[in-house]
Amino acid sequence: MIQVQNLRKTFGTVVAVDGVSFTAHDGIVTGLLGPNGAGKTTSLRMIYGLMKPEIGTIQIDGNDALADPLAAQTRLGVLPDQSGLYPRLTAREHIRYFGNLQGLTGAPLEQRMQSLIEILDLKNVADRRVGGFSHGERTKVALARALVHDPQNIILDEPTNGLDVLSTRAVREVIRHVKSENRCVVFSSHVMQEVSALCDRIVVIARGRVVAEGSADELIAQAGTATLEDAFVSLVGPQAAGEAA
Amino acid sequence: MNLAPILTIARKELTDSSRDRRALYGVLIGILIGPLLIGFMLYQIAGQEKAANEIRIPIVGREYAPILVNWLQQQPGVEIVAGPPDAEKSVRERDSEFVLVIEKDFSEKFRESRPAPVKMFSDSTRQSIRAKVRRLRALLGRFSAETGGMRLIARGVSPSIASALKMEDVEVSNAQQRAASIFNVIPMFLLLAAFSTGMQIATDSTAGERERGSLEPLLLNPVPRWQLVTGKWLAAAAVAFCGIVFTLLITSNVLSRLPLEDLGVRYHLGPSDILLLIAAIAPVALVAPALQVYLACFAKSFKEAQSYMGFLVLLVTIPGVLTSFFPLTNRPWLHPVPIAGQFAMSMDILGGKPPAAWAFVLAAVGCVALTAVFLSLATRLLTAEKIIFGR
Repeated sequence: MIQVQNLRKTFGTVVAVDGVSFTAHDGIVTGLLGPNGAGKTTSLRMIYGLMKPEIGTIQIDGNDALADPLAAQTRLGVLPDQSGLYPRLTAREHIRYFGNLQGLTGAPLEQRMQSLIEILDLKNVADRRVGGFSHGERTKVALARALVHDPQNIILDEPTNGLDVLSTRAVREVIRHVKSENRCVVFSSHVMQEVSALCDRIVVIARGRVVAEGSADELIAQAGTATLEDAFVSLVGPQAAGEAA
Repeated sequence: MNLAPILTIARKELTDSSRDRRALYGVLIGILIGPLLIGFMLYQIAGQEKAANEIRIPIVGREYAPILVNWLQQQPGVEIVAGPPDAEKSVRERDSEFVLVIEKDFSEKFRESRPAPVKMFSDSTRQSIRAKVRRLRALLGRFSAETGGMRLIARGVSPSIASALKMEDVEVSNAQQRAASIFNVIPMFLLLAAFSTGMQIATDSTAGERERGSLEPLLLNPVPRWQLVTGKWLAAAAVAFCGIVFTLLITSNVLSRLPLEDLGVRYHLGPSDILLLIAAIAPVALVAPALQVYLACFAKSFKEAQSYMGFLVLLVTIPGVLTSFFPLTNRPWLHPVPIAGQFAMSMDILGGKPPAAWAFVLAAVGCVALTAVFLSLATRLLTAEKIIFGR
């Protein structure tokens, strides 16, 4: 479970995140929906400990993440905005490297690697260097190394951006799979179809603030519109919604 | 404390780099360039010295001066051949190294005891023939002095009257010393090897990591930043250390194969010299990669980082340049100064006066301290949001 209270972050005079609060529960997929530049990625970077909020608190499974960021990171599996790989290492070596850094070794690590390779359908390419991989294959490798330590909480920053249909399906499969294991999944996207297809709860962010929160039906009811798309436009304002795909 | 991540990171960086052909070539060049240059220069000097002992003199108009030609022919290692028709052109176009031309009126003037004209054509811009020209000039001078002396004796005058000065030419720089001055570049090449071989890993694992966008995922692992930096540094330092050792071994091998006896130089790098030099230079393998890792953290791309590394290589040549102004040997106060100290100590070892054991320790302490400073600065950089996310 991830609990975020009143996060604030400024870059110079720009207020990127301005009092964001939400809770992502175990066993459901929480979607952060908002136009580009709304503050989704900055909020996530604060949650996974690579940026320091100016004010606010973050709790991961009830532990203060700001007090002990390294302990929080063992409970988090993150597919960040930048998911660069090492072109000269194989898919398997990527997963093993991150497994080792998470403190896993030996047979448990090898078993975990094998099951991830199967879940993500990487069997045919597991021992090839990732330099020649397609975008979809690279995303799968990045996802596998993010999940190698079997984290309770999973954060995915726009995971399906630029993926083809098959890879998008594979990513969705993984999200459904970890959700069925009663894990907490936070998923950000500016694509409404993605969010409505996967998420149980939606947190709508615009201009650094949470403007609405609830299930798709609740958002529609709250906005008094016919579809989620209309609800989104009315919630974030037509100008900001226009920037979303 | 769990230090395993340091080794995990070092191992990954070594594996990654060993698959990078560009990195391997860089390491290979870094190791080979010193020994090969040293070998080439010594071989050239030896060759020139040997060549001057056996010269072949092209003479135009030898029929005008049989007495001179006969005298020359009697000198050891001299061979007379017919000169080219156009001496000046032949030398200018480098068909001949030098040509001696004897004028038509030589025999007439020689008989009349007047200065008999000979001309020597040579090209002083040609470094490689200087020794031969010098020898020929000395031979002609001797012939002139001997003949002049005999003429004076024939007239009942002591030849010493004609010499107002007794000049003794003490040439300080001989071939042996020129060869020795080449040994002085060995420390510089060892320092260069330390800087150039660890450089690829130091830059690829920091600036390259930023460029690929793989730094953010890496930092998501529960590993303290100082361990990340130390792991990357350790990989670079291991390669730099091997670079130093291989450079030394290859240099020693090259020296043992050269005809150094021709130079009158008896020199070879024995096992004890090699061990002492490793002990003296090894601390550079700690500090150089630390400095490189720190600087490369500022760079957004591998290429940007490499341009910084170019300046570092210049830094290494500073002690080498300084030695030509004031000698760095036998200056113990210099030993704790990183890099300059290692250079000075190696010069002392090559000069046959290795510093005391405490000097080695002191010199190492200076480098270790500086290494710690650079690594902690790099750690602070990798905590800065501007560095992590700035692309």
